[in-house]
Amino acid sequence: MSLHVPVRIGPAEAKLIEQLTASGANAAAERLSASGLPTRKVESYHYTDLKMLLRAVPELAGATKALSEPALRIPGAHRMPMTNGVADIAGEMPPGMRATLASGSALTERDDVLVRLNSALATQTLKLEIQSRATQVVHVDRRTEGAAAHMNDSVHLFVADGSVATVIETFSGTDEAHLSNHASYVAVGKGAELTHILLDLSASAATNFVTAEYQVGEGAKLRTLTIHVGSALSRMNLFARFAGEGAHGDFTGLNLVDEGQHSDITLELRHAVPHCSSKPLYKQIARGRSKAAFQGKIVVERDAQKTDAKLMMQGLMLSDEAEILSKPELEIFADDVVCGHGSTVGALDEDSMFYLMSRGIPKPVAETMLVRGFLEEVLDPVVDEELHAALEGVVERWLQGE
Amino acid sequence: MTTPMLEIRNLHARIEDREILKGVNLTVPAGEVHAIMGRNGSGKSTLSYVLAGKEDYEVTEGVALLDGVDILGMDPAERAAAGLFLAFQYPIEIPGVATMTFLKAAINAQRKARGESELSTPDFMRQVKDAGRDLHIDADMLKRALNVGFSGGEKKRAEILQMALLKPKMCVLDETDSGLDIDALKIVSDGVNALRDPYRSMLVITHYQRLLNHIVPDVVHVFSDGRVVESGGKELALELESKGYAEFDEAAA
Repeated sequence: MSLHVPVRIGPAEAKLIEQLTASGANAAAERLSASGLPTRKVESYHYTDLKMLLRAVPELAGATKALSEPALRIPGAHRMPMTNGVADIAGEMPPGMRATLASGSALTERDDVLVRLNSALATQTLKLEIQSRATQVVHVDRRTEGAAAHMNDSVHLFVADGSVATVIETFSGTDEAHLSNHASYVAVGKGAELTHILLDLSASAATNFVTAEYQVGEGAKLRTLTIHVGSALSRMNLFARFAGEGAHGDFTGLNLVDEGQHSDITLELRHAVPHCSSKPLYKQIARGRSKAAFQGKIVVERDAQKTDAKLMMQGLMLSDEAEILSKPELEIFADDVVCGHGSTVGALDEDSMFYLMSRGIPKPVAETMLVRGFLEEVLDPVVDEELHAALEGVVERWLQGE
Repeated sequence: MTTPMLEIRNLHARIEDREILKGVNLTVPAGEVHAIMGRNGSGKSTLSYVLAGKEDYEVTEGVALLDGVDILGMDPAERAAAGLFLAFQYPIEIPGVATMTFLKAAINAQRKARGESELSTPDFMRQVKDAGRDLHIDADMLKRALNVGFSGGEKKRAEILQMALLKPKMCVLDETDSGLDIDALKIVSDGVNALRDPYRSMLVITHYQRLLNHIVPDVVHVFSDGRVVESGGKELALELESKGYAEFDEAAA
């Protein structure tokens, strides 16, 4: 017997239902009416109770031109602007790269409210196809511009067999109470190598949601780097799947949260085939009154023998009022695998502080050095020098409190 | 009378409720090298930490003057800028901070605290190269993260390199010989001896006489139960080696 308890629908949910209905997404509207936004009782949103945290939803975004300066400039990179969901593909493409537009969202159907919203509301997808071993960095500059808006956009990235690419997607825009809900679908071909970076540089009033799906082909090498710096409320959903044997994935992230911010990175990594290895490494730093959350789940399916997976979360608390939450999980259905997970949270090491200060380095400088050292492990593998420097600049500005 | 480089009077310190230093009196004149010998647990290392300003210890009584200036109210960085250097028994590993970056930050922080201009990069590189050569420290080691993956000998050589570059007035060497084989001990001792100077003093803490064959002290102090119980010439170290510490425990009692 199932008992149906009607959920109370708040103003944010009511607005979303109205927008879904107006867009003709009746099934998604009905689903939201029936269950509401996820609360902490929903396992995957345990640390990020959207029903409580999402107070208001602005009007759907209209097409507009980008007026603000790019939030990040990477010298030598090919920048593709995408403003309020509309990509500009008029410019000349680097050799081996093709950009086209398709209607609708790039995401696969799955039971997640952000995925359902994006699938219903994203009107077009920017499709990028990379078939080359060129090393020019591609920068997809995704922005929510103008007055406060609810914006859904979508990118489909395909790295062809044997190709090598570095792609960074940044999220930014005007300092308004936007609700941006981004989608990225990333397919890495046979033997391809991809470094894929997601960087949230949204303004302080914004809410920023990202869902990224990764399909990793046979023998491919994928490095992902997910960084949160901006936005008051952030949730980054990462779904990765090893679909071909012999692939390797380094899934990494930096969750930097400051006064008043709530940021959640949730990873679900699925080993579906044998002989793949993965090394998720996520670092979180919290200061002021803030909350950083990481959930990482590795699923090893029954056929995925000889899987080698090691998940690590390290947290650094820079204030007593900050919260760092971590939930590593393993779900293993194969019997011949090496899997592990670990999680540590602490303050800066006192012995290290004493050592640096005993050499004449003043306390604030010593603190910054140690924090920088803590982050370096994640930034260091980004080989493109200009990109590496740009990312270090982002982290440095965060450290300086800018 | 000239001002001693280091003057410690009736120094008492404790960690939580346990008193470890129980009235240390010690004077090191400028240009002299003094040794402190004592068994494990006598409080030698505590003395070095208290001088350098480690937070875990609380000074309850007494004074410590560096070149006439009271340093007990200063934080560790201020003490370093005032000219104090502690060579650690166990140098700390700092992941993600390149040794070179650290050295430059330390030198320039001290210069800044003293109102001097920053060292230019070419000057800095030259100084590091010169100091590193004598200590058998190559460029590759300097690119690595500070002390991370260094062998015991490399860590101690890196400490002496820092000492050479920071040019302190007062060096405290805490068990610098521990973990060193005979060749490494020679390199480190030569490095220390090269820094002997009429304007620089040293306090060498050890519990083996062995180190003092290489770094020959002007004065040897015996440390027992949290204070200096006997002082004498370098022959005192040999006497300790043959008789052991037991005889001096009575002096402490």
